[in-house]
Amino acid sequence: MKRTLITLALTLLACVAPPTTAAAAEAGGPTHKLNVITTTSDLASITQEVGGDRVTVTSIARGYQDPHFVEPKPSFLLLLKDADLLEVIGLDLEIGWLPPLIDQSRNPKIHRGAAGYLDVSRGVEILDRPQGEVNRSMGDVHPLGNPHYWLDPANAVRIAMQVEKKLEELQPADAAFFQTRLNTFKSRMNDADKRWRAALAPFKGAKVITYHNSWPNFMRRYGLNVAGYVEPKPGVPPSPSHTFELINLIKQQSVKVILMEPYFDHKTPQSIADRTGAKLVVLYPSVGGAKSGTDDYFSLMDINVAALVKALQ
Amino acid sequence: MTRRGRGLLLLLVLASAIPLMAQTQDERITQLENKLDELLRQAEAIRTELRAMKPSGAAPASGAETATAEDLTKVEEVQTAAPEAGAAPQSLETVQPVENQVSPGAAKALNPDISVIGTFVGHAGDRNEFDERPNLGLDEAEVAFEAFIDPYAKGKFFFSAGPDGVEVEEGYAQFVTLPWGLTAKAGKTKATFGKANTWHTHTRPWIDQPLMITRFFGDEGLNDVGVSVSKQIDNPFGAFLEATGEIYGDNFYNTHLKFFRDLTENSNIEVGTSWARNADHDRFGGVDVTYRWKPLERSIYNSMIVRFEGLGDRGKTFDRTLYGYYLSADYQIARRWFAGARLDRADRAFEDSRAVDRAVSATLTFWPSEFSQIRGQLRRTSIDNGPSFNEFLVQLQFAIGAHGAHAF
Repeated sequence: MKRTLITLALTLLACVAPPTTAAAAEAGGPTHKLNVITTTSDLASITQEVGGDRVTVTSIARGYQDPHFVEPKPSFLLLLKDADLLEVIGLDLEIGWLPPLIDQSRNPKIHRGAAGYLDVSRGVEILDRPQGEVNRSMGDVHPLGNPHYWLDPANAVRIAMQVEKKLEELQPADAAFFQTRLNTFKSRMNDADKRWRAALAPFKGAKVITYHNSWPNFMRRYGLNVAGYVEPKPGVPPSPSHTFELINLIKQQSVKVILMEPYFDHKTPQSIADRTGAKLVVLYPSVGGAKSGTDDYFSLMDINVAALVKALQ
Repeated sequence: MTRRGRGLLLLLVLASAIPLMAQTQDERITQLENKLDELLRQAEAIRTELRAMKPSGAAPASGAETATAEDLTKVEEVQTAAPEAGAAPQSLETVQPVENQVSPGAAKALNPDISVIGTFVGHAGDRNEFDERPNLGLDEAEVAFEAFIDPYAKGKFFFSAGPDGVEVEEGYAQFVTLPWGLTAKAGKTKATFGKANTWHTHTRPWIDQPLMITRFFGDEGLNDVGVSVSKQIDNPFGAFLEATGEIYGDNFYNTHLKFFRDLTENSNIEVGTSWARNADHDRFGGVDVTYRWKPLERSIYNSMIVRFEGLGDRGKTFDRTLYGYYLSADYQIARRWFAGARLDRADRAFEDSRAVDRAVSATLTFWPSEFSQIRGQLRRTSIDNGPSFNEFLVQLQFAIGAHGAHAF
């Protein structure tokens, strides 16, 4: 009788007990949701592609704000406190606001060098690494290289690969799930890149002006040339003398397009465009840069490529 | 010797030379083969070492040259990790000397971040007996050192050099990996009493200190050697709530409760309360309210901060409670321009009198860059039972080196 009761109790327990992580993974269902915080919306988008429903992703910076200047508000500490993983762009992009947030996060898991800290700049192609001495007379220059590297889809794939590796490390039970999603992302990205290449192929070698040096990886990938910048030096607002020089340069080199990010003032670039006949085009450097239509990395690039093609025609 | 004999001799000589030539040729071929093998080994060794020495994320030249990765499904991560074990040369006969390239920054990797912030102030107008300043002088040079001490704590030192000499403005270890949602500081710190008391000269939105600080705590504010422990408290309001307790050397205690909440994406509010008691059993109570507005899309061009901070001092020295407060507003007009105003009122707590001083200020600030600023401040101070001082202060401030961002 006693044995029967024990068997019955164990059977009941087996019925009501939640499935184990391994069993859930085997069944293809979600295991534990990793809580991922990213510094930018682009990282969030790529992480969501790889992590699917096994991750909850939140970006600190919005796509329509300048990622160099984010206020380290205490509300971000609430996000970081429970994070399993913090992903950063690195190369000092977040140097002005992220360190105090990490220090006060009360979450040792996401400190620099800990398992829950991922600097994706370590595995991507980086341009504009200064050679020789670097000092502030060069403006707000990034001594480690240009941090806007995510705008090359090849680097987006490299970011995804690093994210996949890290998610796999933090949640091995979902390794196959993450790997499958990474492969799907690569394949989709490859197809999309062919489309973007084809769209921009007729304009190979075309010259453009950009406001800030945010687009070197993008331009390199699609064979476009940056002839100059609205900023005289990185982070330095345009001066009258530089603007005058830029107007002459645009006229001499027949530059058709001036590109600017949504968070910069239109006044100076619009004035340059008016005086030279060049078109002023807003390109979005980050997912969510436009209030609609830039919900993920693919739509961000779609909207940027379409705008660029229209302007260069 | 006949012609026939000479021909025979030549033939003999040639015949005897044939094996010798064949032998020489074989030897040379063998030597060449050996050399070739050696060269191949060396080439492989060099290739292996080059792979190992290849800098992380080698930077290709920027420009219009199209990227080579045509098929994104075959893209590989740019390796920054050390070469795998298998990449090492197999045979020790082929080991080559390694010429390690010294990374220019590597030698300084463990040095602390060092910065110097210079603040020079000019003064014109009435001579203010409570805040005497030279026509032009060094107000402060802050020298800061910051680095990780070990995996558990950061060390921070802020030395303040001014007309009165050099002193440690703050110097503490900040423990950033404590359990139970705690953080702590140990060393000389500014007491977390309100907001203005915690600021360094270069983080203040004004040239001077509010009267509330100077009249109650002196020019240097409330600071001492002690321990500060903070805990974040979960709450149902979705707000950031933090309690701080501090004990300082000279029987001085301070507590602070901070409440922060986003109102919208572009605005937020912070409310704090403070309570402190010093060795003389003077008790200080304070409240601070800060409202911030910064539209994210225009965040580098426009913003506004409104601040109120007040305190009461009830102690044995006086037969009544003394009060002080300031109310200020600062508006960012353009990317590099800021304008502000401040109202001050404070009982004169440092002397046994019933005097109440008041002041009104207006500021205009220009930032040539993030690392320098020029600020002007018009100040009218009304001294109780005394004259009013009309002054113009101008400040030049600049930073060199790597100065870590301050807490929000």
